[in-house]
Amino acid sequence: MNVLEISNLTKAFGGLKALERISLSVQPGEILGIIGPNGSGKTTLFNCITGFLPFDSGSVIFDGQNIQGKRPHQIVNLGLTRTWQLVKPFFGMRVIEAMMVPSFSKRARSSHFSKKDEKENVTGILRDMGLGEKLWQEVDNLSQGELRLLDISRALVTCPKILLLDEPFSGLSHKETENISRVVRNLNSQGFTVVIIEHRLRELMKLVQKVVVINFGQKIAEGAPEQIVQEPEVIEAYLGKRRLKIGVA
Amino acid sequence: MNLLKRLAPFTQNQSPFGLLILLAMAVYPPISDNLFYIEIIKLAAIYAIFAMSWDILTGYTHEVNFGFAFFIGGAGYLSGILSSLLSVSLYLAIPIAALAAGVSGIFIGYLTLRLKGPYFAMATLAFASILYKLSFIFYEITGGEEGISGLDTFTDDPTKDFYVVWGAMVAIYFVLSLYARSKHGIILKAIRADEDATQSAGINTAYYKIEAFAISGFMAGIGGGVFTHSQMHIGPTMLSGYLSVIVVLLAMIGGMGTIVGPLLGAICLSIVNESLRIVEEYRIIIYTGLLILFIYLAPDGLINLKFIKGSRLLSFIFMGDRKPT
Amino acid sequence: MEILIIGTVRGALYSLIAVGFVLIFSVGGILNLAHGTYYMLGAYLTYIFYTFVFGMGGINLLLISAILSVLSVGIIACLVYYILLRPHIQSLLYVMVMTLALALFVGEVMSLLFGVSGTRVPSLIEGSMSIGGVKVINQQLILIPITALILPALWYFLKKTKMGQGVDAVAQQRTGAILMGVSVETATLITSGLSASLAALAGALIAPVSSVVPEMWLFPLIKAFAIAILGGIGSLAGSVIASFVIGYAEILGSFLISEQLTELVALVVIILVLVFKPSGIMGYKLR
Repeated sequence: MNVLEISNLTKAFGGLKALERISLSVQPGEILGIIGPNGSGKTTLFNCITGFLPFDSGSVIFDGQNIQGKRPHQIVNLGLTRTWQLVKPFFGMRVIEAMMVPSFSKRARSSHFSKKDEKENVTGILRDMGLGEKLWQEVDNLSQGELRLLDISRALVTCPKILLLDEPFSGLSHKETENISRVVRNLNSQGFTVVIIEHRLRELMKLVQKVVVINFGQKIAEGAPEQIVQEPEVIEAYLGKRRLKIGVA
Repeated sequence: MNLLKRLAPFTQNQSPFGLLILLAMAVYPPISDNLFYIEIIKLAAIYAIFAMSWDILTGYTHEVNFGFAFFIGGAGYLSGILSSLLSVSLYLAIPIAALAAGVSGIFIGYLTLRLKGPYFAMATLAFASILYKLSFIFYEITGGEEGISGLDTFTDDPTKDFYVVWGAMVAIYFVLSLYARSKHGIILKAIRADEDATQSAGINTAYYKIEAFAISGFMAGIGGGVFTHSQMHIGPTMLSGYLSVIVVLLAMIGGMGTIVGPLLGAICLSIVNESLRIVEEYRIIIYTGLLILFIYLAPDGLINLKFIKGSRLLSFIFMGDRKPT
Repeated sequence: MEILIIGTVRGALYSLIAVGFVLIFSVGGILNLAHGTYYMLGAYLTYIFYTFVFGMGGINLLLISAILSVLSVGIIACLVYYILLRPHIQSLLYVMVMTLALALFVGEVMSLLFGVSGTRVPSLIEGSMSIGGVKVINQQLILIPITALILPALWYFLKKTKMGQGVDAVAQQRTGAILMGVSVETATLITSGLSASLAALAGALIAPVSSVVPEMWLFPLIKAFAIAILGGIGSLAGSVIASFVIGYAEILGSFLISEQLTELVALVVIILVLVFKPSGIMGYKLR
């Protein structure tokens, strides 16, 4: 069974169709990339899936359950977690405190036996992410790359079945991007299903197994990375009629 | 051994400075026989209750409650009315009034869930103003301009009364401090930083916001009830915008978001206020002027001053912050 | 008929007050809780200038007092903005607390200087007229033509003059205005003065026929709130319309129900609108 099944999702803002009959499926254990030019509706798609934005028609089935109308925190507690395009740090707290927040969710609390277990889980996640040294740092003092890792770490605390990452590479240096890619690959090898929206195509294509392309709220292509970059509609969507060489290897 | 373990959460991470203040207040009456000053400190303790209760909501969510007099005066009047009209014992009237305040907190919290910033502030101000107006419209029950007088105090001895009030303040201080350090406080701070991200962490933010409102209201209600019976009188000033602003100022000058800050602010400034009675005619003007000056100079409050936060030692003394080795 | 006229007078009065309140919020992001105080100072300063500076020397001097009062309040507002508000303007809490504390402070000062029962200011135009069989006090009536002059003048200022357009730009699209080189601080400074002057004008005009007491700053403030929320923060036209709506609603209320309950009207409006439609009737969408 597909872990996430989106059918004919439509969302309009007044007269503007942000999403038009989008359908896509995510298989368990895969890494799916969603790409498309600015304003194509990618983040709107995430917002609809995660309950932050109500949609007009269509359906979103997660793990066999219809999640339309559910509030964001309820969806998280079913196992679908997301990160945001702009990092959302919990300023005014320490890293360890920030990590405790998701551990208070119903889902996290029901998956561990004691507070001590939870503390170990959280510190373990931070260590795996490379933030082990930063446990007691104020969030305000972290670098952009570290904040991104913190966002992903917080997402992991909720024991998600599927992780939606919105432009995880944005604003990062090359090295930091490689770090995040490595982290995602690790997670995937542990069984996490990951869906990534990205703009940095070079890095993304190396990471994902399947790509969906969205333009003007519609899905215009779907397939393996190597195929997608050859599709004329895709190239046209990004660049008009000129061609672009996108390295894949 | 077991008892010590259970006491641990109460003693760990407490602010030494805060404890010092509480202790200092407790030892004052035996040392000094001056009833006048004991009354002043008693009143200061009540304002501390107000300020701390306000802080648990606004200090930790940064949504400004500008109509706090609603809970204080509302509960005060309810307690006064129950005592004077229905002859309810004050030991029953005060908790009932506080409960009513807490329930109103749930109600108002729910209504204002989606409001942010200035809109939230305006709404809370409006609620308080409505209650203020109602107290004049229903003057038969509330005594209108004059309020309700001749209420019972707790005991016959002013010093014992002082300790009752002190006891209430200490209890509320510990309850709120623990609440603030518990998961509830952490979640509120997260909501303050970023509500969307907190929801993305699987937290039902609406619940925690409403809960904080209710607790804030309940504690304020206790303060209001205690005020009414310790002063033996309740009047429309306790529902006024002036009271709401004073509470905000006391908490802000002390340092929002810390519980200790408002305690400090309320105690010090209330003492200043009462000490100014020697120039009664100009007292309110001087007092308000001082508050304006303080807010201008230290808008984040005294406890939150940079030099305190920056220093590990001072951080520990004032906030009880301890980093593990 | 009486309702119509008095309602119009009230609407005119409220619109002078509310427009300033909405303007300073859209331009400077300042929720000015001292706005009612500027209204009050308009009245009190007229009295002060007339009585102490001009020794109550006749209608012309009364007029000059009123004008001086309006100008002084404008200057005071600019100073308040520049010295007290500007340093910490990014904190809404600070601005609200500071302005409200100032309002209370000034109220207390007035109470100390002139007592709780207030003072009397003579009318600029004595007597009354009969319109449609209803006796109307002239002093109240002049609000209508004055407002009818001032509001379009304001509109002209904002839309047609260079300075005004800058202010308007900041109100509508702050970032865009900054990118175009408009100084937000200057715009806010000008608007502070302008907004306060409008309120002071209202206060000066209504002083002869209303009670000039130290608490007179509170209700206009609450009504300005209600109007701003009803008409939508950010929309001047909306505020004007809402001012009249509330003016008429109050008069109707006092006729049909009771005088006291009409005060509640504004407050209940605030809550109902906030809870059910936070962006008001014509205002911009709440982010």
